[in-house]
Amino acid sequence: MARPASRDTSLTVPASFSAVNRRSLLRGALGAGALLTVPGALAACGGDTATSGGGGASAAPGPVKFGMNEAKGSGPAYERLQAMADAYAQKAGVEVSANAVDHNTFQESISTYLQGTPDDVFTWFAGYRMAQFAENGVIADISDVWPIDGLSDAFKEASTAPDGNQYFVPVSYYPWAVFYRKSVFEKNGWAEPTSLDELNALMEDMQGKKVTPFAFAAKDAWAPMGTFDILNMRLNGYDFHMQLTKGEQKWDSPEVRNVFQTWKTLLPYHQENALGRTWQEAATSMANEECGMYLLGTFVVDGVPAETQDDLDFFTFPALDASIGSDALDAPIDGFCVAAATDNEEAAKAFIGWLGTAEAADAANSSASAPFIAANSNASTEAYGALQKKSAEVVQNAKSIAQFLDRDTNADLANTVITASIQDFLKNPDNIDSITTSIQQQAASILG
Amino acid sequence: MSATTAPPTAVGTPRVKERGPGGGVINRRRGSVATVIMLVLAIAWLFPLLWALYNSFREYSYTQVNGYFSVGGWTLDNYQEAWSRGNFGLHLKNSLLITVPAVALTLFLSSLVAFVLARFSYRFNLTLLGVFLAANLLPPQALLIPVFRMFREIPLPTFMSESGTMLNSFWALIFVNTAFQMGFCAFVLSNYMKTLPHEIYESAELDGASVWRQYWQLTMPLVRPALAALATLQVTWIYNEFFWATVLISRGEKFPVTSALNNLRGQFFADTNLVAAGSIIVALPVLIVFFVLQKQFVSGLTLGSTKG
Repeated sequence: MARPASRDTSLTVPASFSAVNRRSLLRGALGAGALLTVPGALAACGGDTATSGGGGASAAPGPVKFGMNEAKGSGPAYERLQAMADAYAQKAGVEVSANAVDHNTFQESISTYLQGTPDDVFTWFAGYRMAQFAENGVIADISDVWPIDGLSDAFKEASTAPDGNQYFVPVSYYPWAVFYRKSVFEKNGWAEPTSLDELNALMEDMQGKKVTPFAFAAKDAWAPMGTFDILNMRLNGYDFHMQLTKGEQKWDSPEVRNVFQTWKTLLPYHQENALGRTWQEAATSMANEECGMYLLGTFVVDGVPAETQDDLDFFTFPALDASIGSDALDAPIDGFCVAAATDNEEAAKAFIGWLGTAEAADAANSSASAPFIAANSNASTEAYGALQKKSAEVVQNAKSIAQFLDRDTNADLANTVITASIQDFLKNPDNIDSITTSIQQQAASILG
Repeated sequence: MSATTAPPTAVGTPRVKERGPGGGVINRRRGSVATVIMLVLAIAWLFPLLWALYNSFREYSYTQVNGYFSVGGWTLDNYQEAWSRGNFGLHLKNSLLITVPAVALTLFLSSLVAFVLARFSYRFNLTLLGVFLAANLLPPQALLIPVFRMFREIPLPTFMSESGTMLNSFWALIFVNTAFQMGFCAFVLSNYMKTLPHEIYESAELDGASVWRQYWQLTMPLVRPALAALATLQVTWIYNEFFWATVLISRGEKFPVTSALNNLRGQFFADTNLVAAGSIIVALPVLIVFFVLQKQFVSGLTLGSTKG
């Protein structure tokens, strides 16, 4: 019985998604269309200058349970969440009881968590992973805490499920880009490439100097998805990426095969034997000057020795197709949701509305040993290092922001099918046709 | 072990001939072959463990630069940091609060079953034992959803569980572990109890001992070796249990120590040396239990395998 039922619900997904996509073609800038989805939201927007810093001003604060995906004492990420909880407890005069579970366990047991005894407000991700829960009714509609002062329309769209309502409040993000060591580039007279030709010339020159152009690791199966994403967005564009991840485009289409084909031509410029290497080892080989560049998220700084951290800089992957340009990138957004099972929705909404404000971001960044890049544009950037300032700039200038392949699509498809297929491709780069066909078959059965 | 590593030709030849003047089951040549094979196997098993132990005493920044096959970068900080970052004090206490009641309850309940199965001959004895054993064959993963849903519906007063249900309470883990371990314990104990001479029960009857007294004051003292061996095994198994804890518990401060090991990994970054140190800390209690009670453990493996 469960099967036909789930097929029914998933049948409705593409319809509503495609509605959003038609609009996304119409509008010039990212996100503006999200407002059109809900006529009511437009009215609410009219006088949004009156909205206080507290976001959902209507909801009354009360004691809340706060589920965080960082273990107690595990580092800056935990410190920031705890600082926000403390600041809210102090400001609103309520008790915030925190439940700190380590990141991976929290993520892996999210569905038993939500069906069991979830906390009122919990940390989660934007994109398909949020939309899936919204559709299953395990997270609550919080469209009345929106708009939140300082969160742009792009963030609002990332918080919107296919039904047009908001289920998410973003707090921070981190972009994926090509990292390199400034001193190494300077020493060799290399410059950030802005076109495919310049990139090719740079890679050739690096190889001539016995430096592997790209550090590369695929032992953490999600890591090579970053390369796939950026090639896909450069060759086929952001809209194709979104359609592909929602099942509206086929994995065995000529476009996807072209991505793998291009990747195959770039593989000789990547580190060999990537399947046996973790991203930390790849980052280390960039730090050792064995490799020139590394395409990864900003967390790459954790993987290089402390003394090289300040030497890092990055550029966005250059355009591969002039008609598509290079204004899309992966920048996964982290934030919060309200569990549908909560028996104290008012208090939860008051809390989550506040979590989206600049005040919350500042509370987090001022007391943690390392800051995040706040989603709220009014947040102070005082604590940011050079990399974070540049990241914020790059993301603000980007026209389209994707959430990363495994956050933009069904988790089962991403984590079991695509990861294995990409590893398969790295082992046998000549089998593109059979690999893409197999992904498509499995995608069809998972996405319905 | 040595019998299974001997070449297969030994099976066909009569055993009597194999026994040389030395009196062992296998001759010297085969003995040395077996020793070499066992040595290789032992090294294959021990190498990763010893390597983890070795690297747990080294700095991540040193091994990051010099690789894991290098020598140097000695430190004890990993242990200190693993202890404080993993919050092992709290989680070891959680493990203790789960393991001790679960082992005690398992042994108590299964000895009751075993006593009845061994002492009385009802027609459904064999069926009952079969049912207990069958539960042992069932993979726990298959019961994940039913158990989860069942526990979600069972209310508990708030002084027993903050969540108001079995979920997120130690009770859930104690009961689940007890249920899953009872089959094995009942089987071993009933076989052991069957080796007790029937005559002592007859004399007990004559002296007017009730069934309860026959169980508590006669049988239990006699099966103490079996109980000790089982207790050792059960402590190890329940302490190491990981699956149910991650399913039934979703509050960070309630995880047993095995699940808390994940606290040492970040979202992306993992300091492998720190994780190695944490793993050693987590493994220590089991090692201590094993070495202290080793004698019982080894003899316990063959307990009940032969009916006298």
